[in-house]
Amino acid sequence: MIELKNIEKYYSSKGIKHYVLRHVTTTIKQGEFVSIMGPSGAGKSTLLNILGMLEEPTYGTYEFMEEDVTRLNERKRIELYRNHIGFVFQAYHLIDEMTVYENIEAPLLYKKVGGAERASRIADLLDRFNMVAKKDLFPNQLSGGQQQLVGIARALAAQPSIILADEPTGNLQSAQAEEIMQLFQKLNKEDGITIIQVTHSEKNAQYGSRILNIADGVVKDDITLTAV
Amino acid sequence: MFKLNLKIALRNLWRNLGITAINIGGLAIALAAFILVAMYFTFETSFDQTNPNYENIYVVGRIEPDFKTNYTSPPLAKVIKQNFPEVENAGITKINRSWELAIKNGKKAIFTKNILQADYNAAKILDINPIGGLIKPSGDVERLTYLNVENIKTLFPDKKDNKPEMVSYGSASSGITGTIAGAIINNEHSNFSFDGVSIGNEIGKGETYGYNNYNTFIQVKPGTDVANLQEKITNLYRAELLKGETDLKTINEIKGVSIFLDPLANQHLKPKAGNDTPYKILISLSVLGFLILVIACINFTNLSIAQATKRAKEVGIKKVMGAYRLQLTTQFLTEIFIQCLVATVMAMVFAESALPYFNNLFQVNLTLWHADNNLFWQLPLVLCLITIIAGIYPALVLSGFKPALVLKGNFSTSKQSSWLRNGLLVFQFSIAVIFIIGLFIINSQLKYMRSEDLGFTANQVVYVKNISYFNDPAKFKTIREKLLKIPGVKSATVATDVPDGSGNGANGYTFEGQQKSLDFVDVDFDYFETLNIKLKDGRFFSPKFSTDTANAAVINESAVAKYGMKNPIGKTIRGCETDYKIVGIAKDFKAQGFESTILPTIYTIKNPCGNAKTQIMLKIEESKMADALAALKAKWSQINPKDGEDFRYEFLDDLYGKLFKKQEQLQSAFFAAALLTIFIAILGLFAFAKYITNGRIKEIAVRKILGASDIQIFKLINSSFFMMVLAANVISWPVAYILTKKWLETFAYRIDLPVLPFISSALITILLTVLTVSIQAKKAVKANPVDALKYE
Repeated sequence: MIELKNIEKYYSSKGIKHYVLRHVTTTIKQGEFVSIMGPSGAGKSTLLNILGMLEEPTYGTYEFMEEDVTRLNERKRIELYRNHIGFVFQAYHLIDEMTVYENIEAPLLYKKVGGAERASRIADLLDRFNMVAKKDLFPNQLSGGQQQLVGIARALAAQPSIILADEPTGNLQSAQAEEIMQLFQKLNKEDGITIIQVTHSEKNAQYGSRILNIADGVVKDDITLTAV
Repeated sequence: MFKLNLKIALRNLWRNLGITAINIGGLAIALAAFILVAMYFTFETSFDQTNPNYENIYVVGRIEPDFKTNYTSPPLAKVIKQNFPEVENAGITKINRSWELAIKNGKKAIFTKNILQADYNAAKILDINPIGGLIKPSGDVERLTYLNVENIKTLFPDKKDNKPEMVSYGSASSGITGTIAGAIINNEHSNFSFDGVSIGNEIGKGETYGYNNYNTFIQVKPGTDVANLQEKITNLYRAELLKGETDLKTINEIKGVSIFLDPLANQHLKPKAGNDTPYKILISLSVLGFLILVIACINFTNLSIAQATKRAKEVGIKKVMGAYRLQLTTQFLTEIFIQCLVATVMAMVFAESALPYFNNLFQVNLTLWHADNNLFWQLPLVLCLITIIAGIYPALVLSGFKPALVLKGNFSTSKQSSWLRNGLLVFQFSIAVIFIIGLFIINSQLKYMRSEDLGFTANQVVYVKNISYFNDPAKFKTIREKLLKIPGVKSATVATDVPDGSGNGANGYTFEGQQKSLDFVDVDFDYFETLNIKLKDGRFFSPKFSTDTANAAVINESAVAKYGMKNPIGKTIRGCETDYKIVGIAKDFKAQGFESTILPTIYTIKNPCGNAKTQIMLKIEESKMADALAALKAKWSQINPKDGEDFRYEFLDDLYGKLFKKQEQLQSAFFAAALLTIFIAILGLFAFAKYITNGRIKEIAVRKILGASDIQIFKLINSSFFMMVLAANVISWPVAYILTKKWLETFAYRIDLPVLPFISSALITILLTVLTVSIQAKKAVKANPVDALKYE
């Protein structure tokens, strides 16, 4: 599904290159649950941003679903967001002026899903996440864990084939964090959604099937976990 | 999608209700000002546009060596029509505004000041249509006279039909009667506004090229080369004047005369023969209206920039959810469009309520709600325009944010956009400063004009309207005696012109071999005394000198300067086939107001080339004014039987005060504009300062914990705004200096450009800014730092 070849990312300042990523080459297959780990500043988030096409690598090629997406125009990229990629953020990034329902609905509107289909999908998601009673609340009326659930529901609404999550539990208490990770695991196992998450927590990484350890921009370890 | 965006927009606005209200309110006020200006502009630029031949009508005027005039002679129109096939029609009109004519039906009377005399051709060209249609008068003598509908109503209140009626002219005893052919609707929105019209087949018959008392109009065929025609008419006119001329000097003079063609469209605002002050005022008014609107739009942009950090996150999220940039652009534009729409509706309400004051100030009669109002297409256009101006930043810049940057969490737009934000703020204040300085300087100039010594005293002088001629001093002598018997009347005189800014006649006078053009005013004894004009040398007219009524002349200082005379008293000046002896020199006085220099003028009692002396002026003691006026009214028919029983007067100072009218309008417009711009700019600043302090709450808290005092924090917040306002002042001073200097240069008599307005405007803007920002900063300063630092 994802092919990274010799990805490099550096910033030049005063003629000196500051490398964030070096020689990253890896393949992620459909249905994998990958955790990217490493110390602060190692380049985890940059790697995830490159995977999510939010940043472009300075060098190297990136193939997404057999298509070279290393340098893609905005329109094509957004097409991919609409149909294949769901994002989950550490700070949830819900739209404050929209209710829970509207937040989940928004990607469907951009994807131009019909009204009836939209309603049924949202109802389904709300039901699944036990949020039916909260559908008319605004994000600031919810707890962090609930907000992140909405964030995930929003990412799932467009039925993506891959979810990119940047420290999805970073702002959450451990009980809530566990709930989210279990949800990810379930989505990965039952729905076959590919998940790539950036995390600090060894424990969270254990929910996945594979761990990429990064330090100083270089992939140090690539560990495949056996199912628990 | 649209529905959701709309919902979000409304929620967004609702959340920032105070600031939204400020923004929309400010824009509404600015739009209201703009609506008024746009309506006024349309009104002023569309005079006579109802005329079907508007595009093809030209006024024919003369260019003499030292002046331009629209006054031409009757034969010119005829020869133009005969010689040039491209001229479809040519006609002449004549108007006499110098005296009022009473028209009576029994006890009911009207006083007409301008009866437009027109030949049939001119009536056709100028689209003069009496009710029932334009009828060709029969023969040479018949004049068809029509009066305004209002006048007909006054004279014949019960009249239902449109049949001719008999009326009497002048005093009841005069016995002159005439026929009024019918009624005509007077178009106030025309250069040819009248109390009535008198149409003849041909007017000015028998008058030659010397009788330049008429206006000539031509209607050309569409597509005519006007420049070429103008040249051809000039040649024709010269050829006509040269006919039978043998004197070499006259022939040379004729070669210096030419003809100009001035489109009808120019007549109201910028006639070639006349001044274009109304045009300049209109243009400056339009610029004012537009600038106010731009300033209000800037408030929107500035607020968008201030909100950018927050909106940027929304942009980032929406993009990763699959929104195209165009969709976001549309969303932002929609949001701003809704606000502008609300503002527009409010603006209509504001404009409607301000309209009576506006109409009163500019002496027009504009209304908002009539079907052919240009606003109905202008307003939607303006709405789109302001949406684009106000929305260009969020629509183009905000929507272009990269999600990777804005979603990282510590994104701040303040750095990249601060130059734009500050620049816009500086721009707003620069405009406000220019307006304030302008206002101060207009005020000082008007104050100067009201308080400056005019060289004559208009106070306590009553100008009496009169229709009988007093060119012979002996005839006025008896009247004067009767007038002086009335208690309070100190002196009485009669002249061709009163010093109310209206033009005098001009003629060529020769002094020691030099011929120059001088203004002439024909006066009677006591003219200078009544007006309290100062004597510089020699003496004024006096009945003691019997020659004064024959060939004595008084000239003013400007005339002395024009000829470069030395010791002119007793010397001879020749004009109108008469040798005048200069008996006195009058000090210059500002009969023409402050805009033009005092014209070199000659005053004589006898002037064969002069006009009718009809303008009576009386100096009346202030304390006995009411009684004297009552007595005059009661005894008028005995005092001046030829004028009739109706005593009509005006105070000369009121009449002279009308000269300031245009400038007073400008002053009021500037006052409103300065007030509005500063108000709108302060509104914007108020909202803006709120965002800035909100953004710095954490910084303020940290500083307080580090030991900063409240004063130090106030200083900190104010300092950047202070610098911006200072910059605005520095930028706008040279601009204001140039503009006000240019304006002052339109006055022949003016103040020196003062420094005070510049300093005052700086003080005012700085004070208002510090006040506004401090009000906003107070909340942040007073807050407990712990609350601000608790988050994150």
